[in-house]
Amino acid sequence: MVPVLALLAGAVLGLFLDPTVPVALQPYLPIAVVAALDAVFGGIRAKLDGVFDDKQFVVSFVGNVLIAALIVYLGDQLGVGAQLSTGVVVVLGVRIFGNAAAIRRRLFRA
Amino acid sequence: MSKDRPSSDHPSTTDWTAKIFGPDFLNVLFRHPLDPGYADAAAKRQQEGPPGRFERLLGRTLSTVALVMVGFLLAVAYLQTVTEEPERAKVRAALAEQIRQRNARTDELAARAEELRAEVARLRDSVLSSDDAARLRMLEATVGLARVRGDGVVVTVADAPPDAVTGTDPKLSRVLDRDLQHIANALWSAGAEAIAINGQRLTSTSTIRSAGDAILVDFRPILGPYEVTAIGPKEMMKRFEDSGTARLMRQLVRDYGMQFQVRAADDLTLPAASDPRLRYADPTSTTSPAPSGRGRSLTPSGGS
Repeated sequence: MVPVLALLAGAVLGLFLDPTVPVALQPYLPIAVVAALDAVFGGIRAKLDGVFDDKQFVVSFVGNVLIAALIVYLGDQLGVGAQLSTGVVVVLGVRIFGNAAAIRRRLFRA
Repeated sequence: MSKDRPSSDHPSTTDWTAKIFGPDFLNVLFRHPLDPGYADAAAKRQQEGPPGRFERLLGRTLSTVALVMVGFLLAVAYLQTVTEEPERAKVRAALAEQIRQRNARTDELAARAEELRAEVARLRDSVLSSDDAARLRMLEATVGLARVRGDGVVVTVADAPPDAVTGTDPKLSRVLDRDLQHIANALWSAGAEAIAINGQRLTSTSTIRSAGDAILVDFRPILGPYEVTAIGPKEMMKRFEDSGTARLMRQLVRDYGMQFQVRAADDLTLPAASDPRLRYADPTSTTSPAPSGRGRSLTPSGGS
């Protein structure tokens, strides 16, 4: 219950404050969202598997976002930003789908 | 596959690090999307027992903060996407509007140039003797700087219609700049005296080339169906029909469904081409036109 409320509170905060994203940070936003989603789905699945760990969740969230941003930054500097972004999205997308499938199996037995 | 090899289906947490650098990294990723850290943490908890009260509280707080941040991130990304979209559409619309304006302005200026040219011609005719004026008009018509009238042919080519089933527009069935060049050249060699493509008169320095998906004639974009109008002798149509270009176009019609049509037309009017501006070549000072020998350059003959 608390996690769901926290998620909603964050969303409301974001909608209410409506912060302007600095132009320099804008390319990282989509990647950060995908990385955050990966951490969230991983966390939900771990919870359902009964192995959830707070520290692991926080570290994976922060680490995912930072590393994804770093890869995109590096790609931009090397001139292959779009390709590296695609790579990050593919890898994280595979994990998100895998975890979502596991969650679905556990919740609906299907 | 040997039996004693550890099955890769369920790698234990200890050999995960070994697996991750193995060639089947993607396999592992597909089969075990869950972060291995969770399993590690669970194993550690089992060994050392549940964490202390303070530790648990700290962890709970931190993960709650992280979740608030995730929600915040999602909301910000959503807002960002929503605000960006109309901006993009606006920029595109502004660019399209600019193109339309410039095109209209070019047409306007072309019409004005035509008007002025007619005025110049009229004034010049009133000054020159009628013989000279007639000769000048003749020369202008020949090089494409004056409007001309006469009988000739109209060659129509068009892209193949998009595929009825898939709705796609295959690249091969498009009219290329090369096709128009071939048609124009075949018409010249069939005896055409004046040619225009979609109302753009061709001169000796005209260009037919493509830029992206558009075909430019003298740097003005033209759209299909393309109409190549030529004024020439009666036999021109037959000669053109017998030319290799016409055969090639018919082949393209058969193979790709492009459209190609040649018809005779009477009383065609071809517009004047825009004035070519000579930037580097100067006209020679001698009045009598020297026969242009092969290899002679366009530099003014200084008389040396």
